[in-house]
Amino acid sequence: MANGCECLGCNVGSKVPDFKLTTYDPSKGDFGEVNLKTLKKDKKWTILFFYPADFTFV
Amino acid sequence: MGAEIVTVSTDTQFVHLAWQRDEKSLENVKYPMGSDPTGNLAKMFGVYDEETGLALRGTFIISPDGTLLNAEVNYYNMGRNIDELMRKFKANLHLARHTNQGCPAKWKDKGDKTLTPSAKLVGKVHEALE
Repeated sequence: MANGCECLGCNVGSKVPDFKLTTYDPSKGDFGEVNLKTLKKDKKWTILFFYPADFTFV
Repeated sequence: MGAEIVTVSTDTQFVHLAWQRDEKSLENVKYPMGSDPTGNLAKMFGVYDEETGLALRGTFIISPDGTLLNAEVNYYNMGRNIDELMRKFKANLHLARHTNQGCPAKWKDKGDKTLTPSAKLVGKVHEALE
């Protein structure tokens, strides 16, 4: 990680731009989508949990 | 618990499926596993490692109005403490309902002492938490 990570605008206290992600949803056994706009409309909290790669520990 | 937990890596949804079906410790996983193969979301949150194309271990809590309230980033070799994530989430829920209060460092759960800033509290935090 020689260059490090640069934050491109998501600072604590600021609004997160809307985003969409394709998902695999184990509770449905199917692919789906997560959309921040929809989550906001549903008045839900969102917790994003990034990790380096599948088949490693999180 | 009133929140959508989404795990995110730069793997595709197909690999997520294979991993979740293969790895015994993931058999009870219920949350959606997000796919960010371009790293765009990881870049947005400042956790994308250009050198490896992977995301660092970043955890972010976003309120229902879309405000980022907590950010924690660990390097590859350190896992996260889920109890601490839950503590932060519960504190957020409490503070959303009691907007004039603050949760001090040792706040763990409902019923623990909070602080309400006032002239009286200045210089008396220790006493207020006793």
